[in-house]
Amino acid sequence: MSLIEFDKVSFGYEQTPILKDLTLSVQTNSFWAIIGPNGSGKSTFLSLLSGHIKPQQGVVCVDQQVVTTLNTSQRAQKISLVRQEFIPVFGYSVFETVMMARYVRQSKRLFENAADREAVRAALEATDTLNFAERPLGHLSGGERQRVFIARALAQETPILLLDEPTSHLDLKHQIKIFDLLKQMQIQQGKTILLVTHDINLAVQYCDRVLLLGSDEAFFEGPPEQVLDSGRVESIFGVQGYQGRIQEEKFFVPLGQFSKDRPE
Amino acid sequence: MTLTPQKLVLRSILAGVVLLGVMAACVWIGSQDVSLADVLKGPGVEGSPNIQYIIFMQERLPRICLAAIVGAALACAGVVFQAILRNPLADPYILGVSSGAGLGSIVAVLFSGTVIYGRIAGHFSWIAEATGMSSLMIMAFVGAMLTVWLVWVIGRVTGRTHVTGLLLAGVVVNAFFSALIMFLLSIARARQLQSTMFWLMGHMMLPENPLMVWFSGGVVLLGIVCLLMLGNSLNILSFGSDDAQSLGVPVKRTCFLAFGCAALITSVAVSLSGLIGFVGLVVPHAVRLVVGPDHRLLIPLSAIAGASFLVVADTIARVIIAPAILPVGVITALVGGPFFLILLIRYTKNIQWGPA
Repeated sequence: MSLIEFDKVSFGYEQTPILKDLTLSVQTNSFWAIIGPNGSGKSTFLSLLSGHIKPQQGVVCVDQQVVTTLNTSQRAQKISLVRQEFIPVFGYSVFETVMMARYVRQSKRLFENAADREAVRAALEATDTLNFAERPLGHLSGGERQRVFIARALAQETPILLLDEPTSHLDLKHQIKIFDLLKQMQIQQGKTILLVTHDINLAVQYCDRVLLLGSDEAFFEGPPEQVLDSGRVESIFGVQGYQGRIQEEKFFVPLGQFSKDRPE
Repeated sequence: MTLTPQKLVLRSILAGVVLLGVMAACVWIGSQDVSLADVLKGPGVEGSPNIQYIIFMQERLPRICLAAIVGAALACAGVVFQAILRNPLADPYILGVSSGAGLGSIVAVLFSGTVIYGRIAGHFSWIAEATGMSSLMIMAFVGAMLTVWLVWVIGRVTGRTHVTGLLLAGVVVNAFFSALIMFLLSIARARQLQSTMFWLMGHMMLPENPLMVWFSGGVVLLGIVCLLMLGNSLNILSFGSDDAQSLGVPVKRTCFLAFGCAALITSVAVSLSGLIGFVGLVVPHAVRLVVGPDHRLLIPLSAIAGASFLVVADTIARVIIAPAILPVGVITALVGGPFFLILLIRYTKNIQWGPA
């Protein structure tokens, strides 16, 4: 059954159309990567899906309901969002930050109950952040903080999890850790995950489906091996590169004018 | 670790006891010596009124209560504006409340002798009777509320992101109204000038009617309770409106409510006491250092701490050049100014000023 439906969705700003007639359906419990050059509409796609912006044409449905007709609370019960890295102004602890995800489950209660505390504890445990639950968010490293925000999204207990470049500031080890964590959430908790990333190779390794957005409103959607064809990647990103295989999976290394293995 | 109702009540009671202690101590300090034994003798027999009793009941006690109300309102509003604007350096005046109230009061002082003003004021005299406020206070209140409404509307129209729009609108309206105030001051006569200047410096006015204390205390208490109920939403809002929305907080409605309540209690405070700066800045920050950033705890405790702070500051203002009385705004500014600079140096590195 498809959980998310885009039906001929168009969106753009004056003079600059971004998405045009985008149609796709996302199955429950799938893991999607949204890939494309800067300005191709990846974040716009997430905003349309989370209902923060309204499509100019077409409709976005979640659970057979038009997402912009849902109110803030209804949306927050279906979709959680992990934004790009940022540090809050005030010094909330990790525990307090993750507890904020329970707002939508508290229905006007001022105080958290045992169920809330248990959900937060489980989310901290799943993301391996329980041991610094009492530390202020600002004192953590980028990778730790990113895991805390994923924990917050888990504590929201939504079927759909959106992430906007969750690994962009992280080193290799932490990138892999985040992807492993997300895959685990997909398998163990049945989440439907859509994430924006620039890392084609990790997308091939982990994702079931890919949405590749071109800067000219074109889009390609399907299994990673088919969509991330080297010729198409080269033309959409405007780079040349080297494509090979590690065992069964493809990989792609972009090459520039001064690369050691520069293209002929 | 987590906030429980017991913890909240316990800490509030503890802080409340401290406040009562401060008030009980400060009420005996002043240019006139007043002793408990003399006050307890009552209003005195006919023909020889008990002066000490009158000073205590008509001057000291109401004044201490007013200082507590104003301090609580300003500190609490500071907490809320800092959360909504996501800026630890925001205080109630940043949104134009001060200039609006100032303009209102100056209009009241300058035009109070004119026929038109008398006619209009005549129509609204029931407000003065019902609340115990003087016409200057009412004009200050109206000015403050109108300005905040104006800032809100301009902020909505101009700001693509809510926060930046509000902040900019506040700054612009403040500047414009300050110019109007300067203009009116420059054409005012000397006698009118002094009362206005005192008011602008933050001058606790002695209530002519005890009803005023009850009325303003009630409004401020109501506002603080409403804001306390928004505590969870304010916690989340301080992460930014995008985050708040995806966590299920109705951002526009919450902002409107919190902004409205904070503006209301600020306006009450400003109309009672003129422009007292820095309370809304110093107190929330100090309280945050002690109890952390959770608004469910921060709001009631800041209100109580703000009340204590202003009671002490007002007592100092009453005795430092006795028998004359210094405007209390001078004291708070002398304490708050250096404090603000320290904050500024500590925070400018970490604040994200841009829209986020």
